[in-house]
Amino acid sequence: MRIGDAKETYVADEAIWTSPTQTFWFALLMAVLLVFPFLANSYLLYLGCLVGIAVISTTGLNILTGFTGLISLGQAGFMGVGAYTVAVMSTHTALPFPLVLVLAGLAAAAVGILVGLPSLRVKGLYLAIATLAASVFLHFIFAEWESVTGGMEGMSFAPAHMFGFTFRSDFAMYFIILSVAVLALFAARNLFRTRVGRAFIAIRDRDISAEILGISLLKYKLMSFALSSFYAGVAGGLFAYFYRVVTPESFPLSMSIFYLAAVIVGGMGNLLGGVLGAAFMTLVPEALKLLTSALTPFFPNAPVFMSPMLEIIFGALIVGFLIFEPHGLAEIWRRVRRFFHLWPFRN
Amino acid sequence: MFNSMMQQSRRIAGAGSLMAALAFATPALAEDKEPIVFGGSIPLSGVFAFAGIHIHDGLTDYTSWINSEGGINGHEVEYVMEDTAYEVDRSVAAFKKISGSDKPAVYYGDSTGFMKAIASELNNQGNTLMSGASFATALTDNEKYPFQFIPGPNYSQMFGIILEYINSEAAEGDTPTVAFVYSDTEFGKDPIENGKARAAEMGIEVVEEIVTKPGSVDVSAEVLKLRRVRPDYVVFHGYVLSPINEFMVQMRQMGLDTKFMGTFWSSDKLIVDKMGEDADGYMGVMPYNYYDSDESGPMLDALRAQAEKSDPEAGYRPTGYMQGWFNAMVWTEVIKRTLDADKELTAENMAASLASIEDWDTGGIIGIPVTVHDMSFPVGRIWRVNAAEGKYEPVSEWIHLD
Repeated sequence: MRIGDAKETYVADEAIWTSPTQTFWFALLMAVLLVFPFLANSYLLYLGCLVGIAVISTTGLNILTGFTGLISLGQAGFMGVGAYTVAVMSTHTALPFPLVLVLAGLAAAAVGILVGLPSLRVKGLYLAIATLAASVFLHFIFAEWESVTGGMEGMSFAPAHMFGFTFRSDFAMYFIILSVAVLALFAARNLFRTRVGRAFIAIRDRDISAEILGISLLKYKLMSFALSSFYAGVAGGLFAYFYRVVTPESFPLSMSIFYLAAVIVGGMGNLLGGVLGAAFMTLVPEALKLLTSALTPFFPNAPVFMSPMLEIIFGALIVGFLIFEPHGLAEIWRRVRRFFHLWPFRN
Repeated sequence: MFNSMMQQSRRIAGAGSLMAALAFATPALAEDKEPIVFGGSIPLSGVFAFAGIHIHDGLTDYTSWINSEGGINGHEVEYVMEDTAYEVDRSVAAFKKISGSDKPAVYYGDSTGFMKAIASELNNQGNTLMSGASFATALTDNEKYPFQFIPGPNYSQMFGIILEYINSEAAEGDTPTVAFVYSDTEFGKDPIENGKARAAEMGIEVVEEIVTKPGSVDVSAEVLKLRRVRPDYVVFHGYVLSPINEFMVQMRQMGLDTKFMGTFWSSDKLIVDKMGEDADGYMGVMPYNYYDSDESGPMLDALRAQAEKSDPEAGYRPTGYMQGWFNAMVWTEVIKRTLDADKELTAENMAASLASIEDWDTGGIIGIPVTVHDMSFPVGRIWRVNAAEGKYEPVSEWIHLD
């Protein structure tokens, strides 16, 4: 049972580290994440990297959709801007990867501001369509601006490097992705302890009221788009460094839907939800394959019948979460935590 | 198959004197030899599942057949695959999983995107030779993709074969005209520039280029453009069915006598089944004999027998099945050549063995002996739909590009 946890000031109430127990578990999690690549095989390491990239991009979309209430179907396009920035910079310059990643984020943020302009006039489904149009437009640029993007064939380029070190393997990339993901989450967590973050939430809850309270919708909506796109650009940049090949088809519309689903399944407006949603959407299809592996010794043709079934099961799981836990995985996690806060008592 | 064979062998061993006779009668797999693994990222679900299921069947049946023939130099063959839903990240995950646990010597990739994405790892690893569903021209770049090959002609070479056919059909002194209709995808745009250059070299005039969405239905405006230029041939690429059917039906309704042609993935029975009579006369370039063609050969007969044995009720086997089987055939040949040369099964050695393939008799899968050029088999034949018979029939000789 959690005891001795009374908050006496607003500052204490807003602190990131609220209890020694929380600090302990977080430190343990970080230790596990740091040890993980030394124990994992290449398959698990690869999945770890994918989850990390997905966490960064989902956190970005969560800032925009979950915290500011602006729906976007342009996330894949913004990731593409980041990825192509990395591809172009890696091909034509020798800049170290952290700088290139920041430039990738800034390029995506600049595009995000442009795409966000319609959000001043429209919201909801209309904004979704506006961002969808932007996504299509960006795909067109990736495919047709051949002198820069390599056209439909795309670009392949050198691995990430810094101070003479080259980060070629998944093992090396894991640490880069983990560091960026932790930094991104830490920054996002702090964002919502500031005026800017609270302004986003105020806009989400009632934009007219927020404006009456003195929050500039122009400034903060565009800022939210810029921040969200910055995250997407950095995630796209890491995606590019990870695969070292970028084509227009690397960033389909389905990828935007994937991230939107991750935000919703995880829990909108909750950073932990973004993390859980990204992990769920990335890992569950792989975990479901274990079913096929278990059946194959008994039914050699199981892959043929089970593979389409797994897609249906995955879809059903998403629908199930939406129906039975609309607040997402984060709410389930919160209930589990509350249980242990009170344990051994029930109420 | 392998297990039942071994059980049978054990029973007969008890009979003593029959053992030697059986050893000569059926090829045996040496138990002390390590199995050779065929790996695969196979799209059993997702948008490419229509082909992926048959590719999987082709690979599975070939594995059963080669093991019944004694494996590869006595090594049993194991086929290990994972479904990818035709998504690059899941294909890469499957590759990592299988290459980590089963060390495949050869691997089937399900898409151009995957094969590009995995190239740097494949090159670094140096253990696995890869081919797959992609016929992308880019993958024949030996500098970037030294350990990947195309199990047939690449898309540019398919266009080359089509243009050779068009040229051979033209009357003396005539300049044939052709229109290229392709999808706005990497797949669709792949052979267009090379196709235009080759057409110019051969004196064939490309009178129109039309780009559409794959699967688009409303093509009336595009058909009007084609009516204005009245091409002798329309060559489709980057589609499976739609909008090929729309173009053909609408252009014929306008009274145009244009001939219609397509490349590998749009030259299966799907067009015949979906379009019925309207498919009559459609032509496709195909590097392999169709399952239901009148051609024969020892390997083609073995393929049909194995297909019949594994699923007697399946009937016709689509081109994906032929492609899967042929991929595995090439892998076997490459591995055999490498082992015969007493070399390790590294990607570099296997790529060298592949490059050494010259005038190879494929036992009727391809109608003429084939030679590898730039990690591809630049050979094919033009086949035309006979709607009344519900099948493709050859209208050209086998064309081997230099």
